[in-house]
Amino acid sequence: METQTCSVVELRIPAKPEFVSVARLGVSAIANMMNFGYDVIDDIKLAVGEACTNAILHALAPGKEEVREIIIRCRLEIDSLTIEVHDSGVGCDFEELPREMDIESLPEAGYGLLLINAIMDEMQCMTSPETGTVVRMVKRARQ
Amino acid sequence: MDINITTRTDDEGKAVVFISGEVDVSTTQKMKAALAELIEGGYGRIIIDMSGVQFLDSTGLGALVGAYKKLRERNGEVELAALPPHIKRLFEITRLDSVFRIHDSVEQAA
Repeated sequence: METQTCSVVELRIPAKPEFVSVARLGVSAIANMMNFGYDVIDDIKLAVGEACTNAILHALAPGKEEVREIIIRCRLEIDSLTIEVHDSGVGCDFEELPREMDIESLPEAGYGLLLINAIMDEMQCMTSPETGTVVRMVKRARQ
Repeated sequence: MDINITTRTDDEGKAVVFISGEVDVSTTQKMKAALAELIEGGYGRIIIDMSGVQFLDSTGLGALVGAYKKLRERNGEVELAALPPHIKRLFEITRLDSVFRIHDSVEQAA
């Protein structure tokens, strides 16, 4: 009887803008190892980047100047890749787009988690002052 | 990681901006500054050649929206050209393809 196993890879980066590309490259290497297609790897890279950016933008908010760390935990299973992006900040900027895209209401921010929700198979964002913020994303392997 | 920005202008208030590289939270400010300089310089039509953009994230989208709104206040327009398919998809997901005028090429935009 075959037992399903999974592997966990954890990457820790400083909560600084210049390290987001490091996170993207690290996770894209994992996705490549799992034989996801190029388009899917691009999606995964973007999603991880957006989650890290969400953490950094909250880290850079006024009054929160201490350097923080972002933890990217990847769970590799036979049929899926689950990525959790943890940081100690509080906040998930996830807003619905306005129904009408008129100039006055056009937002200049808040597209990040919307993109993750569109390109990943699952997304949850959990935030609290006690535990910080976790953005959990899943991409399933296609047959 | 960095982005490269080159600009070509004419005497009729038009600027074509070629951006190459990865536009993300660490490089968006450079693009923002370049566009702001053109807007403050009085250019009423800014065409952004996106053919060299390998990666664009939400901060890049936000910067483009900001430039678009700012130039619209001055009765001008920011237009996009030559979007790679994976970049164009981001505009479709966010419905920003209904806001920006998007051309297949810079030549088509001229």
